[in-house]
Amino acid sequence: MDRVLKRNLNRSARYTALYIIVIGIAFIIIFPIFFLVSFSFMSDYETFSEWPKPIVPSFRADFMIDKDAEGYHLYIYNKSEKEFVNFGPLSFTNNENDLASLQKFIRKYSNCAISTDKLREYLKGVDNQGEATFQLKKKILDNYVLFFDITRDAPAAFIRSILVACLTIVISLTIGGMAGYAFARYMFKGKNLLKLSVLFVRMFPAVSLAVPMVIILANMGLADQPLGLSLVYSVGQISLNIWVTASVFMSIPVSYEEASEIFGTSKIGAFWHITLPLALPGLAACAMYSFIGSWNEVISAVVLTQFNPTFPVVVYKSLVGSQGQINLITAGSLVQALPAIIFTLIIRKYILQMWGGVRV
Amino acid sequence: MATLQLLDIAKHFGKGVWGVKKLDLEVEDKEFLVLLGPSGCGKTTAMRMIAGLEDVTRGTILLSGRDITDVAPRNRNVSMVFQNYAVWPHMTVYDNIAFSLKLKKMPGAEIKQRVQETADMVKIGGLLGRHPGQLSGGQQQRVAVARALAVKPELFLFDEPLSNLDAKLRVIMRTEMKDIHQKTEATSIFVTHDQSEAMSMADRVVIMKDGGIIQIGTPDDVYSRSTDMFVAGFIGTPPTNFFNVVCSYNDQKIELKHSDFVLPLDSANFAELKEYNGKNLVLGVRAEDIKVVPESKAVFKEKILVIEPQGSHQIVAFNLEGAMYKISVPAEIEMRVGGDIGLDFNMDRLSFFNKETENRILLKSEVSN
Ligand SMILES: Nc1ncnc2c1ncn2[C@@H]1O[C@H](COP(=O)(O)OP(=O)(O)OP(=O)(O)O)[C@@H](O)[C@H]1O
Ligand SMILES: [Mg+2]
Repeated sequence: MDRVLKRNLNRSARYTALYIIVIGIAFIIIFPIFFLVSFSFMSDYETFSEWPKPIVPSFRADFMIDKDAEGYHLYIYNKSEKEFVNFGPLSFTNNENDLASLQKFIRKYSNCAISTDKLREYLKGVDNQGEATFQLKKKILDNYVLFFDITRDAPAAFIRSILVACLTIVISLTIGGMAGYAFARYMFKGKNLLKLSVLFVRMFPAVSLAVPMVIILANMGLADQPLGLSLVYSVGQISLNIWVTASVFMSIPVSYEEASEIFGTSKIGAFWHITLPLALPGLAACAMYSFIGSWNEVISAVVLTQFNPTFPVVVYKSLVGSQGQINLITAGSLVQALPAIIFTLIIRKYILQMWGGVRV
Repeated sequence: MATLQLLDIAKHFGKGVWGVKKLDLEVEDKEFLVLLGPSGCGKTTAMRMIAGLEDVTRGTILLSGRDITDVAPRNRNVSMVFQNYAVWPHMTVYDNIAFSLKLKKMPGAEIKQRVQETADMVKIGGLLGRHPGQLSGGQQQRVAVARALAVKPELFLFDEPLSNLDAKLRVIMRTEMKDIHQKTEATSIFVTHDQSEAMSMADRVVIMKDGGIIQIGTPDDVYSRSTDMFVAGFIGTPPTNFFNVVCSYNDQKIELKHSDFVLPLDSANFAELKEYNGKNLVLGVRAEDIKVVPESKAVFKEKILVIEPQGSHQIVAFNLEGAMYKISVPAEIEMRVGGDIGLDFNMDRLSFFNKETENRILLKSEVSN
């Protein structure tokens, strides 16, 4: 009895320890992503001036205005210090110019919108009672709107990036898939050497190849164009796709194709009717890798594009050239991550595809 | 209606590897022909050449007189059942069976009827909506057979279709396939390396070895009149017992001298052995043709080494000159390990082989049969 109890205790202890470790690791992985999401909904003031940083974005901001000999003063409620602190210009008057710039300031740094008329109303209240407090609703998606507003290139770059990613999938999957099929099904001289050598291209860092690529693309008339960029990405992806598709095709018995040939199709027909549907999960995985690889690539894209940057380049430049508006950068980063996530979710269906409960 | 002729076909895989060295064969209409031989003897290669999955290096294949040597597999009007079934896992049973019919642009209603018909014939009529992954090996095998049947081909090829099934199911399927063959009357070639399967199913058996044919004949032919020692040793469980003997012929008497016994033979029935006077011969005797007799009448006596009861009979093993011999004895006869038994031969069913060539020495009595 005692032994059983001891053993059970022992096991619970082990499981508890295991779960603590697992949760810890999950936390380490999720935490940065959580902050990325959280920050992308915060105002500049929240991310910059509050310490310790808030964990979740607020939906409102509290303001106060008072008045002395120099003029009006604006304060914002700092949640960490739990008091109103100075916000905006040292002092301002109630003339139209001051109010307009104040309105802009509030919008830019606290993501709250207020009309000048409303401001004037509050100022009247200050005149009567010495001070006025008011609460404004934060525009929660403001960072995203602002990101596309400030970075003029962003919308076009976004579409361009999708184009590049799709072209990369098409090029690398058709060429890589066909080569993979040949490697899987046919015997020929130097097969292993050739298969190994396609990996060589992946051994060089992207930057080292970028400059020669620029020259080659320029000669082809494809410099600074989506097609050119996707060609460059395809080079690396093809070799990966060859390896993945070769093993996918190898796992499909040749006799499936032979049966198809006997029962009425040509060799090509057998591929379409039998092998392709069976290989779909593997091919979908390849497509996903190609998409994500192309979508997230920055280094080559920085070198290879000039007037037609891709989206990661835009985000990267906003990161480098921004005035430290971390909330805008996080918003850009999330916009950047979103298509890859959506694409993965869509294609997941094919990757997990099973036939009658049996994975092939 | 459908006959198959293989005229001197051969397959060379390159680097001196011959899958099939020479195959001359004629399959008659409605015949169930079994290709039997040890692993690697070229049975699969032969089938694949007939199906068109493999080019021939030499020779001609005629199906009902039509030269199909260079015809694409889909135009040969030949069906095949593969050893690993090769039913397509991404299609339902229905789609698997209907595949070839759809490609032939058969009207939908007719397809439906044909699929149901063939599925019922192989007893999977209730499984049409399932995927192969949800079926047992035996059921998948039936799907493969139904798929082949649905086309109504001129020729059926079965490449060891039962070898992946468990022993019991194999015996059941054996009977069912024979039944199906009797219903469809389709000309069939069946490959196996299980000789009991071959014996029980075949109209004729083709014994292959090293890419060539050793013997063609009915199951009784290959069992009782094996053409050489390879066939005699390959067919039958337990296989034929071989005794090395010296033949002597004098005073009008033929005697086979073995180190443990001397077997006198009737000189009229075994006249062909006279010319082997003084030469070495191999005497081949089937397990059931060595009888247990009272010791007084025995040709030779031996000590029992092992007894393997089989229910209906028992296999008794003994040692002679270092070689193991096995005989089949009725279950009623009581025996014990280590005891002596007297043995005699069934004189009507003796086989003789040339020691050098290992070929059968033909007796007149056999030829007339
Ligand atoms: N594609 C190939 N390339 C080279 N050699 C081959 C090829 N296919 C078969 N062989 C060789 O041809 C010979 C006959 O092979 P085959 O598959 O026909 O034998 P089998 O009689 O079907 O044997 P099993 O009973 O084991 O199936 C074997 O020696 C084999 O190694
Ligand atoms: Mg084989």
